Amino acid sequence: MKPAPLQYVRPASVAEAVDALEEHGGMARVLAGGQSLVPMLGMRLMRPSALVDINDLGAELGKIDGRGEETVIGALVRYSALETSPVIAERLPLLQEVVRHIGDRQVRNRGTIGGAVAQSDPTGEMPLVCLTLGARVVARSVRGERTIPIEEFFEGSYANALEPEELLVGLRFPLAPVHCRFFERGRKHNDFALLSIAVAGSPDADGRWSGVRIGLGGVNDTPVLAEAAAARLEGRTWDTATIAEAAELALEAADPPDDVRASAEYRNHLLPIQLRRVLTDLAGAEPWKT
Amino acid sequence: MEDLIEITVTVNGRAVHERVPARMHAADFLRGQLGLTGTHVGCEQGVCGMCTVLLDGEAVKSCLLLAPQLDGHEVATVESLAPDEGLAPLQQAFKEAHALQCGFCTPGFLMTATALARSGRTLSRDDIREELTGVLCRCTGYENIVTAVDRHINGEHVDV
Amino acid sequence: MSETLEQTRTRANGVGAAALRKEDDRLLRGDGRFTDDVDPAHALHMAIGRCPFPHARILEIDVSAAAELEGVQQILVGAEVAQRTEPISVLRPVPGAPQLPYYALAGEVCVYEGQPVVSVVATSRAVAEDAIELIDIDYDPLPHVSDVLEALADDAPVLHPLQLSSNLLATNPQGNGDPDAVMAAAHIVVSDRFRINRVTGLPMEPRAIVAHWRPGARELTAHVSTQVPHLVRMQLAESLRLDEGDVRVITSDVGGGFGLKLGVYPEDVLACLHAIDLRRPVKWTEDRLEHFRATTHAREAVHDFAIGADADGRITAMTNTYTTDLGGQNSPFGSAQLSSIVFTGPYRVDDGFVQRRVALTNKTPVGAYRGYGQPEVNFARELLMDRLARRLGIDPLELRMRNMLAQEDLPWRNPAGALYDSGDYRLALQMVADAVDYDALRAAGRERPDGRRVGIGLTSFVERTGYASAKFLANRGSRYGAHESVTLRANRSGGIDLFTGVSSMGQSSETAFAQICSQVHGIAFDAIRVHAGDTGATPLNTGAFASRTLIAAAGAVSAAATELRDKTLRIAAHRLELDDVDGLEVDGDAVVVQGDPSRRIPLAELHMAAIIGQGIPVDEHPGLEATAHFEPEHAAYAFGSAAAVVAVDPETGDFEIERFVLVHDCGTMVNPTLVDGQVRGALAQGFGAALSEELRYDADTGQLVNGSMLDYFVPTAADLPPIELHHTEVPSPFTTFGVRGVGEIGTIPPGAAIANAVCDALADFDVQISRLPVTPELVWRELQQARNRSETP
Repeated sequence: MKPAPLQYVRPASVAEAVDALEEHGGMARVLAGGQSLVPMLGMRLMRPSALVDINDLGAELGKIDGRGEETVIGALVRYSALETSPVIAERLPLLQEVVRHIGDRQVRNRGTIGGAVAQSDPTGEMPLVCLTLGARVVARSVRGERTIPIEEFFEGSYANALEPEELLVGLRFPLAPVHCRFFERGRKHNDFALLSIAVAGSPDADGRWSGVRIGLGGVNDTPVLAEAAAARLEGRTWDTATIAEAAELALEAADPPDDVRASAEYRNHLLPIQLRRVLTDLAGAEPWKT
Repeated sequence: MEDLIEITVTVNGRAVHERVPARMHAADFLRGQLGLTGTHVGCEQGVCGMCTVLLDGEAVKSCLLLAPQLDGHEVATVESLAPDEGLAPLQQAFKEAHALQCGFCTPGFLMTATALARSGRTLSRDDIREELTGVLCRCTGYENIVTAVDRHINGEHVDV
Repeated sequence: MSETLEQTRTRANGVGAAALRKEDDRLLRGDGRFTDDVDPAHALHMAIGRCPFPHARILEIDVSAAAELEGVQQILVGAEVAQRTEPISVLRPVPGAPQLPYYALAGEVCVYEGQPVVSVVATSRAVAEDAIELIDIDYDPLPHVSDVLEALADDAPVLHPLQLSSNLLATNPQGNGDPDAVMAAAHIVVSDRFRINRVTGLPMEPRAIVAHWRPGARELTAHVSTQVPHLVRMQLAESLRLDEGDVRVITSDVGGGFGLKLGVYPEDVLACLHAIDLRRPVKWTEDRLEHFRATTHAREAVHDFAIGADADGRITAMTNTYTTDLGGQNSPFGSAQLSSIVFTGPYRVDDGFVQRRVALTNKTPVGAYRGYGQPEVNFARELLMDRLARRLGIDPLELRMRNMLAQEDLPWRNPAGALYDSGDYRLALQMVADAVDYDALRAAGRERPDGRRVGIGLTSFVERTGYASAKFLANRGSRYGAHESVTLRANRSGGIDLFTGVSSMGQSSETAFAQICSQVHGIAFDAIRVHAGDTGATPLNTGAFASRTLIAAAGAVSAAATELRDKTLRIAAHRLELDDVDGLEVDGDAVVVQGDPSRRIPLAELHMAAIIGQGIPVDEHPGLEATAHFEPEHAAYAFGSAAAVVAVDPETGDFEIERFVLVHDCGTMVNPTLVDGQVRGALAQGFGAALSEELRYDADTGQLVNGSMLDYFVPTAADLPPIELHHTEVPSPFTTFGVRGVGEIGTIPPGAAIANAVCDALADFDVQISRLPVTPELVWRELQQARNRSETP
């Protein structure tokens, strides 16, 4: 399980990094945390001509910034930094909760938010939470910078809207509701999700919810928003019947795989039950406390 | 032959200058090129955690790092733990708790626990269990490993 | 023997003491020596090209591009290997089975995905893997069969048409009495088909070999990660057409074996062949993707089990016909055989019949794995015991008690011929019931306020440990005996060097052997140095498997230590000018006169005297060394009972194991800490196999679906339930010190206890489980089925 021959490039700036990506004409891959990329190299499922190691670009890509309503997270911010960041705790509590479900200690010490989003694993926690929170992906190439709404980013299993010469430089999160929940079920601790659910929203003083977003992982070839379910909950108080209806509506967003973790049938069975439980819990509880 | 990349790494407190192929795993570099065979390789997929070392003080899996990435960084392996004679306190705790059998995973647990102990965090037994999930063991059933780390970090106490 | 034990039981670090392990310091410091740590100068590296299909004919192999790659030293293909080697022998063949010879590389036809087809040696592993990619192999995929029962259907493709007319390798019936007639007359019969999952032992250290050939010396040195260095030596010599004297196998530390590292694999033969050709050391370490396809799998079987009973629940007959999956061809050791011998468990059954059928499928060969058939059959029998109880309205605890052999019934021979040695089976079960507070749990009912249902699952079992003599083995075609051996050699520092062919793989044999040596001889535990696993330095032995090492080695160590001690005392008596050795004993580092501590001679002085032959009695030969062999008369049967308490969510099938209690007996415990360690470790593997581990093959492509660490679900530190261990300690009458084996027992109870607990929790729905692993999805499916059953009138 040794990688095929490759070149190793270690740029000192983002400008150098995008130059290197351009130079290799789309055959290079960006090496950030390496937690998914390096095994794929060893299995030779991926054979880039070069690796562009961005780990020296912490000054440009390693920051967490709260700017007004927006929170900007650099691509190279590692999970362990998100886990302990007071800015994230205050502004994106769902993100912080979700990070604790990713991998194990060693993986969280090394893995990066940019790497996870670029990897676009349909069961991945980070793509799911970015989708649920409505982040925008910032990508840069020699041709300049563009911003991609997350809803348009994931294009399939491990596929996304990034061009091969583009570097994902960061994510911009809008103001997030403090009422949120995350649920995940795998086959063992640290496993990929066979089902994951992220919910965020804000109740007003009368208990009417707004800004409801429900993200689902493991039930389609990308993380998906359960839009019909969210629409049913939007602007309403959540009684038992409403929650039950919404939970069933979530199935509209699901087209789950049959694989070694679970059958499609079982995922379809679990989804409304677990979403119902998550929503019930959220409806009756305090805002997320970390 | 493949192009070699020059790297300077501080390994267990000593600076080393070496030339490495771009595709070489850091674990293979430590074992094959530096002879530090205490770091083991069990899956090369980042799952089993045998190859855990400290990179700039943090526990990482060295099969998920390429050797050139080590340039300019500090690495600590299991060989750095013990004094010349005898065992370090964490190692002694493992011995007294019978926290190892075949010993192949042990360096991974020791390095993970070393970083954990240095973090200064307050850790319950369940927290420790969670923090150790990145290293697999097929011999012990883990309980004695958790006990050893718990005793090392929290001191002797009656287990609940 | 037991008298000696009782007299000196208090010896520090002797038998029964919780001695700290001799193995630990080197392993903790990173100074273990695993095979991949062996790094000779000028070593070359091997990589293997493997068949990607479950069944395929090889039409053509083109190595020309690979041969030209810089760094490639040699490429071997099947035709050349078949010419230059003998087939790899099977250490424990299936009785009555025809031989299915296989070579290290596939010939014309591959019979499983992962079978070695080409081997390449190059200057680095990476380059060798580059070369494998450049080798062009033209395969003609053939019809394949994956399912063990479908393999026996008339229209199944036959894997070995030259030797067999079907995929049935052999049928082995055993039994006693007239079970068919008794079953037909029974008041009630419960029966079902139970499917056992294919799993793998997954040692953390992959297999590895470093081979080196010195042609002038005709000496092949092979460092191999194996449980059986002396047997590997035999198999390598046979396959490579060398004399055994030409081959030295060295096994230092082994990073877990669990039955998977029993004997020579194809890659071992290939590395040696390359080393002989190239006259340079050749190294191969299995990577984890190879491991999942090329190292033996285990357990997969289908059991058709039936129990007949009278109206009081007394068992009148048991029958079990089961089919085990051998995979595509033989493994170096052979597939699990112990489902038959313990099929009736700890119950009194006079009329019983058991029959093993061994089938071939296009999957990775199946070999030995911790438990070796015993967890499988225990699952089938114990689930039926609970169903019998439910059908008769008898509590499962009571039903077991009613049928369980009493202490005074033993020794007792079961219908398969097993001779149960001793033990109080009922006490163990009662201790389990007391520990979980069985009556109170029952009284509390099944329903929880949160909607979950609570259940208790019991299981009771016996476990064969060790072998019933070399004669027994030889009658079944085994290529090894039942003995262990040891050499003890006094050294001039006053210590003893202990030489054993038992390699260290986590079972703590270095520590246990030293404890026994110290116990019998009297020398301090710390003064004993264990040297293990080098066939050039250790007496010929059998090896570390079948929970047999200690059973046999305790006798060998004890005999050798007695001989060494007696000679030491005679020399001491001579030097102290005493008439005989009465009143002398070894105490730590010296021989002392009992009652007169001032009269002592250091062992260092006595050892030196013996070694140079000065100052010893005239009728003594110089030298102080003893070798002993020991073969126990019978196997010893460990036993126990376990209970699981689970809470099941009937909506999702999720369940939590809230408690797991095991009471077990492994006879006299040489070291209670190590015993607990072995039991806990095997339990963890038992939980893995019961709850999550399963190697799955795609029905259409026949390929392994989840052959990687990411998709094969072994428990982490956060995946195991709380475990409570208790033990009884009834000595076995058949073994030295009364020991029984302990390494495998934990694999047996989890599956049965958990499944019974889930079924108990869902008894209102009449849920039945008949397969492993027990996953939330399975529980949900069985609930659906039960509901459908109840809705269909």
